[in-house]
Amino acid sequence: MLGLAASRKIAWSLTAKPDEELIAEVLGGDSAAFNELSSRHRPRVERLCQRFFSDPEIARDLAQEGFIRAYTALRTYRAEMPFGGWLRSIVINLCYDELRRRKRRPEELVGDFGAPEVQWMHLVNEASPENIVGDAEERQEAHDLAHRLLDTLRPEDRMVMVLKESEEMSVAEIASILGWSEAKVKIRAFRARQALRKQAERMLAVGRRR
Amino acid sequence: MNCFEARQEFPALWRKTATPERSAEVYSHLKGCAKCDHAFRVFALSAPVLHSAVEPERNAAEFRRRVAYRAQRGLSVTRPAREPRRLLAMCAGMMVLFAASTAAYLSVAAPIGSYTDEITNSDSGYEFPVDTAPTSNDFAG
Repeated sequence: MLGLAASRKIAWSLTAKPDEELIAEVLGGDSAAFNELSSRHRPRVERLCQRFFSDPEIARDLAQEGFIRAYTALRTYRAEMPFGGWLRSIVINLCYDELRRRKRRPEELVGDFGAPEVQWMHLVNEASPENIVGDAEERQEAHDLAHRLLDTLRPEDRMVMVLKESEEMSVAEIASILGWSEAKVKIRAFRARQALRKQAERMLAVGRRR
Repeated sequence: MNCFEARQEFPALWRKTATPERSAEVYSHLKGCAKCDHAFRVFALSAPVLHSAVEPERNAAEFRRRVAYRAQRGLSVTRPAREPRRLLAMCAGMMVLFAASTAAYLSVAAPIGSYTDEITNSDSGYEFPVDTAPTSNDFAG
């Protein structure tokens, strides 16, 4: 299975055009080449958006908006950085703007948890770590609850958490994409971790009580 | 394995990318360390978003079609245009400020002649009434 996947990947890398070549074709007037670019980078871009927004519609809209902006700004793209990284920085800034625009920042967790969510919190409290890891994949409520937890963060804190933890970006990379100083990124990351831990502790307490 | 090493492995454990031996070591550490066990449970609440592979939407062809259509026409996506709320609020604030300052100016505008002119200028025609004019006795002791 793994061998088949690897051989497919090798075959793909031999036949697929590099991003730079496709970009040159788009700039030369072949807009169909952009389809190839977008399908190549789409899964990663959508995944990134889904880490910020639980609503799949919003995530998909933002991914589309990212590709459209990339298309219209393609002439400004310089080949010194990979196209994927350039596109990612566009999408990150879009998501950040959207987070700030929504300003949905309930500082406290709302107490109206549904039965499946409470069940998941109870399981996180009581089950063994092996079972927690095993069960999380199957449960939509685990995903929803995690989004609710992250919704309590300030937009800039959430941004830093996702970029650092999920995208595994360095402090310097985050600072360069968001136009912040490295010190600001470090401070925000520290505060975000503190705030997230505090809210998660509260959630665990809810799971223990019920 | 110490606490720091165990906690470093949480993301790999969640993504199931840690080797079976390493995973077993972490689980064994968690059984014996209450603090790390609690830290893992706190971690598990946000991990489904922060540390899992989120499934991208399946309909790739539809996605490509929509992007191509809108990009070629220079359109934005279907979300409503953003309202320039901040700008509107600033304009309204400036108008209120202007109105208030104009009203204040008109209500407290200085008279054409000063008070000193009024009492020293003989042409002003103003005289203290005889019965209310201050005398030297009024200022004594």
